[in-house]
Amino acid sequence: MGKLGRRALALLLAALSMSVIAACGGDDDSGDSSGTGGGGGEAKNGGSITISQTSQPDFMDPALTYTVNGIEPLWLVYTPLLTYPRTGDAEKDSLVVPGLAEDLPTISKDGKTYELTLRKGLKYSDGSPVKASDFEHAVKRVLNLESGGSAFYLGIEGAQDYIDADKCDADIKGIEADDKTGTITINLSEPDGSFSNVLAMWFVGLVPGDTPCKNLTESPPPGVGPYKVTESVPNRQFVLEKNTNFPDLGPDIPAGHVDKITTKIVKSAQRQAQDVISGELDYMQDPPPADIKPEVKAKYSDRYKEITTASTYYMFMNNRVAPFDKKEVRDAVNIGLDKPALARLFAGEVAPGCSFLPPGQPGFDEALDVDDCPWGNPNEPPDIEKARQMIKDAGVAGADVTVYGNNDDPTDKVTEAYADQLTKLGFKAKPKILDGGVYFQTIGSAKEAPQTGFANWFQDFPHPKNFFFLVDGKSIQPTNNQNFGNVDDPEITKGIAELNQEPEMTDEVAAKWGDLNKKLVERAWIAPYGHRKLATFFSERMDFDNCARFHPVYFNDYSSFCLK
Amino acid sequence: MATEPLTEQAGLQGPAAWEQEAEREHVHGLGPWRLGLRRLRRNRVAIGFGVLFVLLVLSCLAAPLWAKHVAHTTPTENHLSDTIKLDGKTTNVVGLDGVPIGPTYQGEFFLGADPNGRDIMVRLLYGGRNSLMIGVVAALMTTILSVVLGVIAGYFRGWPDLTIRSLLDIMWSFPVLILGVALGVALALGGLQLGPITIGGDSLLIPIFIIGLVYVPYMARPVRGQVLALREKEFVEAARAQGAGPLRIMFSEVVPNLASTILVFFTLLIANAVLLESALSFLGAGVRPPNPSWGTMIDEGVDRIATAPHLTIVPGLMLVLTVLSLNVFGDGVRDALDPRAKVRLEH
Repeated sequence: MGKLGRRALALLLAALSMSVIAACGGDDDSGDSSGTGGGGGEAKNGGSITISQTSQPDFMDPALTYTVNGIEPLWLVYTPLLTYPRTGDAEKDSLVVPGLAEDLPTISKDGKTYELTLRKGLKYSDGSPVKASDFEHAVKRVLNLESGGSAFYLGIEGAQDYIDADKCDADIKGIEADDKTGTITINLSEPDGSFSNVLAMWFVGLVPGDTPCKNLTESPPPGVGPYKVTESVPNRQFVLEKNTNFPDLGPDIPAGHVDKITTKIVKSAQRQAQDVISGELDYMQDPPPADIKPEVKAKYSDRYKEITTASTYYMFMNNRVAPFDKKEVRDAVNIGLDKPALARLFAGEVAPGCSFLPPGQPGFDEALDVDDCPWGNPNEPPDIEKARQMIKDAGVAGADVTVYGNNDDPTDKVTEAYADQLTKLGFKAKPKILDGGVYFQTIGSAKEAPQTGFANWFQDFPHPKNFFFLVDGKSIQPTNNQNFGNVDDPEITKGIAELNQEPEMTDEVAAKWGDLNKKLVERAWIAPYGHRKLATFFSERMDFDNCARFHPVYFNDYSSFCLK
Repeated sequence: MATEPLTEQAGLQGPAAWEQEAEREHVHGLGPWRLGLRRLRRNRVAIGFGVLFVLLVLSCLAAPLWAKHVAHTTPTENHLSDTIKLDGKTTNVVGLDGVPIGPTYQGEFFLGADPNGRDIMVRLLYGGRNSLMIGVVAALMTTILSVVLGVIAGYFRGWPDLTIRSLLDIMWSFPVLILGVALGVALALGGLQLGPITIGGDSLLIPIFIIGLVYVPYMARPVRGQVLALREKEFVEAARAQGAGPLRIMFSEVVPNLASTILVFFTLLIANAVLLESALSFLGAGVRPPNPSWGTMIDEGVDRIATAPHLTIVPGLMLVLTVLSLNVFGDGVRDALDPRAKVRLEH
């Protein structure tokens, strides 16, 4: 999911999102962190629920949204050709399965050609038929609207030419679709081992071929999913209602339980938490604020749980700017970074670690998050004296350092704490807090040349490529750079390029990604400090035991929500 | 915000008015300033609030002493992983669940800690220093700019008056808070470049500059009005007849007669500037983190108002006391120096 900044906030928000509706029965089993939501009972269908988000989704348009606020509801409205199961089994739900396509793609030997066939008899929520060419149109919208997700589809042959033509109805040479047979052929310029994941992203959820190439936030187009958007009033609320035309896509891609989900935008997390407690709201996407959380955990543990997500929080250090152009300085920061202290600012919702790849990603090695961390156990206080001496030895003690962060909660506090820690290491550090809406563009600008600061990433799809492009020397660009630290390690860059072409994620390939991850950490290109947990908090009328499914890719699954 | 222009009852003003007043009060021989002081001393309410303001200032000035010798920390130092002894028990300053310690009513963390584990009492005192410093310096800047512009416009009239008045009208057309937020947000990003001088976006000079600027029309216009009246007075005519030039007349004759107005405005401006600084900081357009100010502290406390209301109430109370004491004292000064004047800033 794209822009880090927005994602961070959104993800937070997404944290609690879950289960609203309910099924009956089932014994309490609070604290279950499996994310399955399987209480052993049956989920009840019907009813309406009201849930909340702290801020408005960036877009209510599948081609454009790139925050959890938008993705969490919209992935249930717009199903792509490929998708992820929603079974509650985290391992199973991380694997790509056919969505609107009949089967998984047939991939040519050179890894450049993907062939799929559309299921027959599909209808959009407005009753109009789904056509194979609608896929090409969905890709066109992503590219034409300069969506944050457009980079994922630039590997399709002719994609750049299509963008250059600047016409919505121009042709994308690399996509052939036959509406009669339903076959879709996609030709890539280069093999891409993660392309099946890319085809499963919400950006290319199918929409009718006549959907205009413009932001449709206020009147979202029809799609094929368990729900349809029936109302979208920016900064106020949006409503999802059951899609009666949703086809049977198999038991792993179920329909929703509740008939109607109204999402209200409520700025105050305090108020949201109080409303969930009182039953005014059935679910809040954000975690309860820190000072209410102890009460929630103590009194409402039968409807609250936390789940570690595939995400990484880290500090970028700009390798092209002093003093972080020296490895010994980056080493010292990694040694001196007080990870448990930073975790407290997330109200315990960050599991300290030093692995860049998060849990759930192929190549993740849990030991790296504990004893094998080259900078000391991340769950224990750091060796500040050693780090301070290293800074002194490097001759940069007293250097001015500006620490970048944004005003999203708790990022501002994390930024201030990081600046304070750098000061304790011997720098003259001061925080620079920017608005969340411009933060990532600002630090991604070569002109700004930020020294160091806050960054994070939540997986778009379960493939290491989705994390490693953040440290890929080839991804460095003058504007909108996501490689904030300008990491350009020749060995790592070469390794990323080679592994990207592996068509399958075998154990061997995963191990190679794991090796790259270890090298990245050992060479101190960045300073990871943990992985985020998200939370699910329901009202009393929701069936928490049977209807609180947490999806490893898309977090809280609204289609599982049900009432008691 | 609309400001009621300086209004006076018909008759004499300034030293002439003081003389007449002195005659009425049978205190021949006392100068106007001593007379004013005498009147001020009789106003016990004003004196009481003046003393309160002095106490507030002194307590804020003592912030480093409290921080160093009592709290043993600084306003920006984080104590996320630290512990303190409370009743013989070791307690986390910030719990593992992120909840900071509440008031201890002892030296360290007297009013508790914020989520970063910073001592709230220390931040309150330093925040007061920042708020008051910004208020006083901004008020000084407003006063100087207003007097210069008001005197030039009122004395010369003609095109200088038209130019200055138009400029002030344009500024006046923007509500103070909106203008302040707009400038604050813009300058916080890129800082301020004044010729060879560069001011960083996080500098306290930024809110000083903004607040000092936005209040200029509210003081410059009444000053101009008073200068327009003064320039027609006999003593100005006399000075002109003696061959005095415009600069000399302005500095020797006009400005001294504005002294009481300036003094009263200055005290009221401090109060308004402190208030605006807090509003801007609350909205994220004033003092930048990690520097504390009462506005930023109120902002930080709002998120926890249900469980830790003192985080909002204490800086809010300090703000109320400061503004109230300055306003009451300022009114007292006005009544003492020029009982018939009705100088005031109105939002």
